[in-house]
Amino acid sequence: MNLKELYQEIILEHGKNPRNLRKTEGFNKDAKGNNPLCGDNVHVYLKLNGQKIVEDASFEGSGCAISMASASIMTDLIKGKNEHEAKEIVEDFLGMIKENPELKSEHLSKDEKTKLMCLSGVKQYPMRVKCATLSWHTMVSAFDEKTEEVKTEN
Amino acid sequence: MNIDQIKKEFPIFDEKIQNNDLVYLDSANSSQKPKVVVDRINEFYTKQFSNVGRSVHYLAVAATNLYENTRTSVQKYINAKDKNEIVFTKGATEALNLVANTLGQSYLKEGDEVLITELEHHSNYVPWHFLRKSKNIKINFAEINEEGEITLEEIEKKITPKTRLISITHLSNVTGAILPVKEITQLAHSKGIIVVVDGCQGAPHLKLDMQELDCDFYAISCHKMYGPTGLGILYGKKKWLEELPPYQGGGGMINEVKKDRISYGELPNKYEAGTMATAQVIAFDQSIKFLESIGIENVMKHEADLVEYGQELLQRNNSVKLIGNPKNKGGVLSFTIEGVHPHDIATILDEDGVAIRAGHHCCQILHDKLNIPASARASVGIYNTKEDLDQLNQSINNCKKIFNL
Ligand SMILES: Cc1ncc(COP(=O)(O)O)c(C=O)c1O
Repeated sequence: MNLKELYQEIILEHGKNPRNLRKTEGFNKDAKGNNPLCGDNVHVYLKLNGQKIVEDASFEGSGCAISMASASIMTDLIKGKNEHEAKEIVEDFLGMIKENPELKSEHLSKDEKTKLMCLSGVKQYPMRVKCATLSWHTMVSAFDEKTEEVKTEN
Repeated sequence: MNIDQIKKEFPIFDEKIQNNDLVYLDSANSSQKPKVVVDRINEFYTKQFSNVGRSVHYLAVAATNLYENTRTSVQKYINAKDKNEIVFTKGATEALNLVANTLGQSYLKEGDEVLITELEHHSNYVPWHFLRKSKNIKINFAEINEEGEITLEEIEKKITPKTRLISITHLSNVTGAILPVKEITQLAHSKGIIVVVDGCQGAPHLKLDMQELDCDFYAISCHKMYGPTGLGILYGKKKWLEELPPYQGGGGMINEVKKDRISYGELPNKYEAGTMATAQVIAFDQSIKFLESIGIENVMKHEADLVEYGQELLQRNNSVKLIGNPKNKGGVLSFTIEGVHPHDIATILDEDGVAIRAGHHCCQILHDKLNIPASARASVGIYNTKEDLDQLNQSINNCKKIFNL
């Protein structure tokens, strides 16, 4: 029952064929994240244009289906958003993964919300929440130009 | 030997874990506890508690005797020459840190080489790394072969004129390889090299005879040996424990304390500073009695049968890839499934009540060598049955189904 919610088709598909699994050419923001407990790691690259709009987003790394799918979906939908919008989306996503029943951000289309909600299955697996959130924390770190590696042990 | 009967001695198997019968395949991480051990802790705290070695009142003397009884039981169980060669620690990790720290203080010098292996758990690498930082010693790694073994020949090849110490695992917690510790020790001693053994995985599953192995130090983790957490044992040859400096300072380890000088206590107190894990030590006596009642030969036979069965089962399961294929193998089955990350495997198996471990199992060097970020590991204990391994295989199949393999 729960497993079906966790491993929805869309997650398995993104996990197997992650979008944007590459390094953006001419990126101007990036950050690394790692999950020391399980060894997952991710490197997020962003290319912002003059108006601070994300022209391209990509990632490199390895991890479980949940973390790969999450990074894949995230880098897809963040393109075309500005920094402010992107951060609001991150907040919204993290809030949903933690406790909120749904996504509220008006910067997300209905279709994008549906995709992200596919990750809500991790709520029932506290040990797996960090798999879903690592790339998101790492993206914020990239925006903020933090040089320290993001670590999500909890 | 009746495994069903033995299993009944472990209360946890009466529990439903998320509505499932528990298929516990994580004993290399920590074993479950027989009722006698749990009861002993309760009994000690409710009826007999006192701190040991400090007071002369009745309870204190009785507790001290119980505490020392366990030391004697351990001595006999591992066939150490002297009871003072048994030091209680908070775990195998502390035991290994004790050895590295004290040898670092008084024996190893700048430029000396320590030989470890690619199979080592972080707790048999990081303490030596500290000495690499503080004393400029060099660490060399004996490399695994195709089967995930460390051979005597490989050790011999990696010994240099500067090698002063070899620190090796008895049984790999990832590939299951059992190392030829006795032969390695003979070779090392013929060259004046000290041998430290990380016996975490050896002690619960193999026959232990310190005088026959002849190693200088042997670290044991009691919680993997059907005993309580917070407890480990360092076996050390008396001449070393007498010669080396103390590790931690505090109460219990001293002889005389003056403003201008301090002298240290005799063995074993010298290495047991502060209030020790008293209840755990006393309860660990029951773990040894439990193992003795089954007989280590029977334990070894049962676990060897399980490993052989499990290995065959997983080998036949296509898309499962076993890690290592050592000739001499303990109860560890580490594997990967092409197309499924180990964390996903562990989550899916857990849904069926099958408890395994996923990750690098504190062996990052080994996983780097194998070029995989993580693996899944099923490990057995005395309470496991072939049915448990059948369930493991079935849950792996379910995992493959979910991932459309
Ligand atoms: C091979 C090995 N060495 C060392 C340790 C650490 O033992 P402890 O938990 O007693 O500190 C473990 C257990 O995790 C182990 O498997």
